[in-house]
Amino acid sequence: MFERVLRAVASRWFRLVLVVLIALSVQTTLFTEVRPFGFAIQLIAIFVAVVGSTHDVQTGAVVGLISGFMYDAVLATPLGISALVLGALGAIAALVMQPFREPTWWLRVIAVSVVAAFGEILMPIVKSVVGLSGWLDVRILGAAAVTFVGALVVSSALIPVSRWTLQERVGRGD
Amino acid sequence: MARTRTTLTRAIILLALAAVFFITLDLSGSSSTSNLRRAFDTIFAPVEGVARVVTRPVSNAWKAIRDYDDVIDENDRLKEQVALQEGAAVAAAASVRLSQELLALNGLPTLAGINSVTAQVIGDTPTNFSQTVEINQGANSGIKVGMPVLNAAGLIGKVTEVFADRALVMLISDPDYALSVKVVTKSSRTPVTLPPLPTEDAPTVDSVIETTDTSSTSSTSSTTTTILGFTPGTTTIPPEVVAGAGGGSNITVPVASQLAVRETGILEGRGPGTRPIVRFLDASTRASAIEVGAPIVSAGGSRSLAPPDIVIGVVSRVVERLGTAGPVLEIDLVADLSSLSFLRVLLYQPITETGK
Repeated sequence: MFERVLRAVASRWFRLVLVVLIALSVQTTLFTEVRPFGFAIQLIAIFVAVVGSTHDVQTGAVVGLISGFMYDAVLATPLGISALVLGALGAIAALVMQPFREPTWWLRVIAVSVVAAFGEILMPIVKSVVGLSGWLDVRILGAAAVTFVGALVVSSALIPVSRWTLQERVGRGD
Repeated sequence: MARTRTTLTRAIILLALAAVFFITLDLSGSSSTSNLRRAFDTIFAPVEGVARVVTRPVSNAWKAIRDYDDVIDENDRLKEQVALQEGAAVAAAASVRLSQELLALNGLPTLAGINSVTAQVIGDTPTNFSQTVEINQGANSGIKVGMPVLNAAGLIGKVTEVFADRALVMLISDPDYALSVKVVTKSSRTPVTLPPLPTEDAPTVDSVIETTDTSSTSSTSSTTTTILGFTPGTTTIPPEVVAGAGGGSNITVPVASQLAVRETGILEGRGPGTRPIVRFLDASTRASAIEVGAPIVSAGGSRSLAPPDIVIGVVSRVVERLGTAGPVLEIDLVADLSSLSFLRVLLYQPITETGK
């Protein structure tokens, strides 16, 4: 029993939850204050896109769904909306990178930025689908542009973080 | 490898279904999602607190770079404004007191009878698609979901999530926010104009005697007020108050219908940077009857989200619509939602929000 708990704590998914918790705290503190042109840079969306671009479709989707649930828990929006959007982003980021056998770092950064920016367009669409209309206007282009530029700046730093977070550690009993 | 993929695919299906399930649960107003949020908050709050301390120098530096000139200008402007308003504030306080006394005398509800909690804004919304602020008071201070939130100027929103020591406030500008409001309009009727009175015909009010006249043939009793020199059935005006009496001037007497008319409608937010609107006004309301600058206050009522007569804003534009649809009003909010600092949460939970 104790060994199973230890193994769960040492797993990459537990590590992911801790990393997302830190990213979330930065999102709700620093990036709520630092708002270029009045828009918040979506660090969580960028992180999910980075994970998708460095891993496969399934991993990207699961990371997006888990991160989304955690993000929803601190927002006033219905629980599950960000999970669906970020889950889709993780999968899309992985799909975008699939045609490239050995992508260069800058190609990965551009792909992450485009996908993270797309998330800012996808979010109001999903909100409208569930009946929370009012967000689909030209303003979303500004939000997408700010997240795109923000992703260009921070995503290269997040690539090693995502690899470390989700690396499999083969140990005794694995 | 294949086994891992199958496990991950199952996890995706499970998590996606869970997301849909929770969205449905949350939109149907279930309190179980609030409990989940509260549980998560107990883990997240300490981490966020540490992050707030660590990132404060960076955010302060950002604010210093971005806002310094604006702050200097605003400070000068505010000093001038404070000097101007010091005198007016004394007169306003006296008027408010008088108004509250009159309302209390007539048994009408006033905000003075509702307790409140003062809170400070400690965070903005982390997303671009919700208009919320975080305050530093929560369930421990008696705050509950649905309570109206004000700043010094007027209504700014309502509490949507409550944690032990903090709460989230949805701002009026959020598209999900709606509130029944009253708009003070002009009367549609023309005032009654009386012909000039001969001076000798105008009576003087000597004294007022109240008599009770109970008719034996009627089942109800009626109280009438008799003024000496006044003949029931005719409208006369004392000469002292008739401007130009005897001089042949007409006099305009305000009738009840000429007093301000209150139209009710629904105020809806439309996102940041866009003025909220008031819809569902009575279709018979003429747009010309509503003046730009007319005050908008909360309507109150047993099912309203806020007590009556909280100042919200003024009409900035009246948009007339064709057909049976009534006019739509664009509103300038009195509260500046972009720079909120200290707020007041009224400890008034609407019936529609109880149990959340």
